[in-house]
Amino acid sequence: MVRLHRQPICVASALVVPILTLSNPAWLGVLGVGPAWAVLWLLPWALVDGPVSGGIAGVALGLLLDGLTLGGPSQVPALLLLGWWWGRLGRRAPPIQRSLNLGLLSWIGSVGLGLSLILQLWIQSGGTLDPWMRGWGLQTLWSQALITALLAPMLVSIQLLFWRRRAPG
Amino acid sequence: MSILLLVRLSKGAGFADAYSLLSRPFWPGSAQREWLDAAVDLEQLAKLKLLEDDNRRLRGLVGLQNNGEGDGQVSAAVISRTTRGWWQQMELGKGALQGLSAGDAVLGPGGLVGRIQSVTPATSRVKLLTAPGNEIGVWLPRTRNHGLLVGLGTSRPQLRFIEKDPQVRPGDIVSTSPASTMLPANVPVGVVQSVNERAVPAPHAVVQLIAAPEAIDWVQVRTR
Repeated sequence: MVRLHRQPICVASALVVPILTLSNPAWLGVLGVGPAWAVLWLLPWALVDGPVSGGIAGVALGLLLDGLTLGGPSQVPALLLLGWWWGRLGRRAPPIQRSLNLGLLSWIGSVGLGLSLILQLWIQSGGTLDPWMRGWGLQTLWSQALITALLAPMLVSIQLLFWRRRAPG
Repeated sequence: MSILLLVRLSKGAGFADAYSLLSRPFWPGSAQREWLDAAVDLEQLAKLKLLEDDNRRLRGLVGLQNNGEGDGQVSAAVISRTTRGWWQQMELGKGALQGLSAGDAVLGPGGLVGRIQSVTPATSRVKLLTAPGNEIGVWLPRTRNHGLLVGLGTSRPQLRFIEKDPQVRPGDIVSTSPASTMLPANVPVGVVQSVNERAVPAPHAVVQLIAAPEAIDWVQVRTR
């Protein structure tokens, strides 16, 4: 059985991420903030396909999402690191598949992504962040981490199930 | 005779009041009042149109950007929106093929929503006024002061002043500058909600936007 990144249908599934990011359903969010769809797709991909594929997928997804947003901070660094880290975790036995573990990893991933964006905003504004902007950043970070972690057990489990069948380790 | 004199001196007060009481059922109804209101509205619209025409003519004379209905105005549907989150933007269903370009002002019902940041042939991306780092120059018509409206990610952007004493107070209307060449002039933006006069180096205010991007499905783009 070939690896995930050699199966076009699995690679094409990444297109769901920009579509969901653009559609941004208002009812699926905490305080108006939607989940980090990139994290929810990248986690099972990296767990199944390994650190190199995870890192490359993270960069590709980050570039795609950066092209769909206003610019400024980039998602590429955080997604690269997350893809690589989750890929390494996926190489360990026993395989990660419990709902709590998946929720926790998604939560950490979403917080990491948010912190990298806040850090870039902080650097761009010359090392100071307006208190209002800091409050907004933290609120967005926690809201996104919460909804991402809540969705992860459902969505990531299903993807893991399908992808492990297509590319058994 | 004395009764008639009393009526005369009181200017017919008793008669008039009695007539008022008796004729009350036959007074003009609400429909008639609506006709009157509609006529007043029409009159005000006509006056507004005349003033706009006048304004356009005068602005043309001094070489400023026009603000009238006749300029390129394109209605566009909002096909995607992110009003919270890391990026605060909208995607419009029209782009370069319809004559839109980066920098065009985007207006919703009530006032300015943001500016187009980039266009594709069929879509445009709008940077909302609330987006972090977004800055536009605005004008307070009451005090005739300029300010800088800065997006901080929150739903209410911050209005920063240059003067130490801008004499602004809650309730003041914020609009685009009448001398603006980047944005259409005199477009309402928001209302000052609170003022922090102790802020350093100059006071700043919190502005409640008039046009709420969360609830807008169609916008108007003023092309330049």
